[in-house]
Amino acid sequence: MIRLSEKYQGLAELTLERRTDGQLWASGDDWAKPVRVHRCFPWSEPGRFLSLRDDDGEVALVGGLDELDDPSRRVLESAIAEAGFVLEVTRIMNVEEEVEIRTWEVETRQGPRIFQTRLDDWPTTVPGGGIVIRDVAGDLYHVADPTGLDGKSRKWLWAFVD
Amino acid sequence: MERETQNAIDRRIVERYTDQPARMPVAAREAVEGAWGGRPVQLYALIDLDAGMRLDEAWLALGESQVAIARRPTQRGTPRASDSVDETWEAQTFPRERLQAIRETPGLSGNTLTFLGVPDEPALAVVRYTHRQRRAVENVRFVLEQELEGRSVPTGDADDAYAASVAAPIREAQALVAGKQGAVLWRLLSYLGRYRGQVILGFVAATIITGVSLVPPWLAGYLIDEVVRPVQDGVMSVEDGTTVAWLMVAAMAVVYLVRQASALIRLRYLAILGEWVARDLRTELYEHLQRLSLGFYSRKKTGSLITRVSSDTDRLWDFLAFGVVDASLSAVMLMGLSAVLLSLDWKLGLVMVVPVPLFCWSIYKHGEHMNRFFIRAWRKWSRVTDILSDTIPGMRVVKAFNQEERETGRFNERNVDVTDEFNRIHQSWTTFWPVLMLAVHATTVAVWAFAMPRLLGEPNAEPSLSAGTFVSFLLYTTMFIGPMEVIGQIARTVQRATTSAHRVFEVLDTEPEIVDRPDPVRLEPIEGQVAFEDVSFGYDGVRQVLRGVSFAVKPGEMIGLVGPSGGGKTTVTNLIARFYDVTAGRVAIDGVDVRELDTGHLRRQIGIVLQEPYLFHGSVTDNIRYGHPEATPERVIEAAKAANAHDFIVKLPLGYDTIVGERGQNLSGGERQRVSIARAILHDPRILILDEATSAVDTETERNIQEAMDRLVAGRTVFAIAHRLSTLHKASRLFVMKEGRLVESGTHEELLAEPDGVYAKLHGLQMQLAVG
Ligand SMILES: Nc1ncnc2c1ncn2[C@@H]1O[C@H](COP(=O)(O)OP(=O)(O)O)[C@@H](O)[C@H]1O
Ligand SMILES: [Mg+2]
Repeated sequence: MIRLSEKYQGLAELTLERRTDGQLWASGDDWAKPVRVHRCFPWSEPGRFLSLRDDDGEVALVGGLDELDDPSRRVLESAIAEAGFVLEVTRIMNVEEEVEIRTWEVETRQGPRIFQTRLDDWPTTVPGGGIVIRDVAGDLYHVADPTGLDGKSRKWLWAFVD
Repeated sequence: MERETQNAIDRRIVERYTDQPARMPVAAREAVEGAWGGRPVQLYALIDLDAGMRLDEAWLALGESQVAIARRPTQRGTPRASDSVDETWEAQTFPRERLQAIRETPGLSGNTLTFLGVPDEPALAVVRYTHRQRRAVENVRFVLEQELEGRSVPTGDADDAYAASVAAPIREAQALVAGKQGAVLWRLLSYLGRYRGQVILGFVAATIITGVSLVPPWLAGYLIDEVVRPVQDGVMSVEDGTTVAWLMVAAMAVVYLVRQASALIRLRYLAILGEWVARDLRTELYEHLQRLSLGFYSRKKTGSLITRVSSDTDRLWDFLAFGVVDASLSAVMLMGLSAVLLSLDWKLGLVMVVPVPLFCWSIYKHGEHMNRFFIRAWRKWSRVTDILSDTIPGMRVVKAFNQEERETGRFNERNVDVTDEFNRIHQSWTTFWPVLMLAVHATTVAVWAFAMPRLLGEPNAEPSLSAGTFVSFLLYTTMFIGPMEVIGQIARTVQRATTSAHRVFEVLDTEPEIVDRPDPVRLEPIEGQVAFEDVSFGYDGVRQVLRGVSFAVKPGEMIGLVGPSGGGKTTVTNLIARFYDVTAGRVAIDGVDVRELDTGHLRRQIGIVLQEPYLFHGSVTDNIRYGHPEATPERVIEAAKAANAHDFIVKLPLGYDTIVGERGQNLSGGERQRVSIARAILHDPRILILDEATSAVDTETERNIQEAMDRLVAGRTVFAIAHRLSTLHKASRLFVMKEGRLVESGTHEELLAEPDGVYAKLHGLQMQLAVG
């Protein structure tokens, strides 16, 4: 179900488009405004419960992608892909400990990267599968299938997965 | 000078810990400045994601009147600029005056910043970047947004700002990054320098212990070869033999006496010495902690700071008192033993000595191997303690929701899990050590095997090995094991000590963010005039919590700060007391920038009463006169009376001597609040800050506190934050804060006259509540 926020209730269907100014616009029959998409459950329900918001609050809560018309859905899909972007780790080259921080050297689907985590910050398992490592700056590194990595990567990761 | 080194450290951190350049490449900068007709880049940030969300290297640059994005034409670069051959850059630029708005769309790891021009026209630019670049991008955005609001912000050195923002998260996790292990160890040892005499004495004693330990086995061998056998063979007379034998017994006694005397000196001096160093470190740490700014405390966990002062210094004591000496003397011992064995009989000696490095190495390797197990066990152990620190303080909630069983189950599961890990560790070391000892004993057996034929001799030849030498040998071999263990674990010992030292030095090396200028101004007395001029501020350098706040408050005015929570009210008061420094703009007291004032002196003139009053462990009296330990009992009572606290204090069994604070007598929220008001009254500040001082108490208590506060505010400049507008009936003016801006200000009546105003709405709501 698409639940428009109270202010917009009684208005026609919601459509979404990416306008030339680069922003995501939500519109009804006599209103239109740029919105940002927030996923309510980024890990457990990535494609459902999408909150479209502007600076004043929620404009609409989209229950699922299939509730939108085709063009809007495609626009929203790409918007959530962007909002939900994380670095996808494909190989682990090195993990080194120092005082208070641990340095990871990895290959991601997006390119090579070196990052640090705090020593007592452990990777967490995510409902959708795999583990997520959060670095000191807040970037997330997703290892979708820890058991499917090559032997050396698995060895580096061994101490961090159950 | 100081700044310079900070910047150098930032750059080193970026180079060492990230794979991105420590500054904008010259070629990219030239490309941008070329496109701007030679005007310089003022600020820049790395843009590390391309449109397809792949890691990339592009640069967002801000100039006096332009914004540019420098990209490699191919669009296929990796973020490693330095070793890339392709150094051509293309700059896409747009004039700052065309910018109308900037929108940031934050994501899990990828953020998008859109520079908007005229509505419905294509965006001027869109850039995507990971969180690591966020602070640097935010610097650029801040300047641009300030300009959109008509303010200009001076920018500092572009390279410094960039390196500082990229290095910041790493520095926050570990301020001493880029410190070398050797240097840390050296610095730690330098603390011994103050006690040079004791150190030398301890080392000499330890050397003597090592030296004389080598004597008894040698004496045993000598006794057998030179006394027992000659006497048994009749070569030596029994009398002579007895004399020599007694001499040797006496020598043994002397050896042991000397050895234990040295042991006493060594243990005592070094243990005491270690304590002194630990004491020096603790004092230095605590002193330094007092100097650090609040920002430091919001970044570090209290527990971790306490550990540094307590267990880390304790571990250093252990290392300095015993580790250093043990390690160096074990090395000496191993060498001494080897030398003795080889000189006694080089063939047998080789059998024993050659495997020793191998054993040490395998102990070291074993330690390395165990490390992974330890990390895993530590991770699981923290899952156990997490539950404890979660549920014990939250026990009321657990019980209220009847979740005891589930919590027990959760705990058991993790407990079993961690036990498995520990047992894995036990399995590993319980296998390793017996196997290693087997190998050691195998060498002993080998010594026997080699020695036997030579001991008995060929049928017609003299034995080439004497019984005495053999006995000495056997006694020496048992002495190998101890030092070997120490040497094998030396890497680990040193690492543990340097880790502790590192953690201690990290605190010592953190510079307070708030520092007084060399000759600070002292306002005597402070009148109490407070002015904000275009103040912007953010705690983390990413999000602006205050944006362009301006106001002027006359001495003696009472200002009510109202508005939704998170609006920035507490932050305003934090800036008045200079707990933090502004990002842009100026905070002035009596017309003088707070950064020019003597901070200690300023804070003595400011009184703060918080919603959650903090009482220290100590008596009520101690708490009331916390700022003025010399205050007389009369003044304490006077203050308590003014705070409406006297009556309840007197009713306590121990009156003013009642111990409060953690583990002390339980006072109710309202009572604690009145004690803290008494503290503020005694302090007699010129500027008073009341941060939701009455939000957490019932109406009756509030009336009590209110009365006390009315006495307290008289004749001072007051900033009172409150949610119940009725609390602020005395305020001369009200400031409404919302989303970091001062949105309305004026008297109660003036604000109510704005029907659409935030204040009028808030007031309307509260009236409804009061009536309904
Ligand atoms: N020490 C801090 N570190 C980081 N952010 C903070 C800190 N203190 C407050 N903030 C943030 O600053 C904003 C304003 O907070 P505050 O001034 O306490 O608001 P108010 O007092 O109006 O409720 C909030 O969004 C809050 O999350
Ligand atoms: Mg507050």
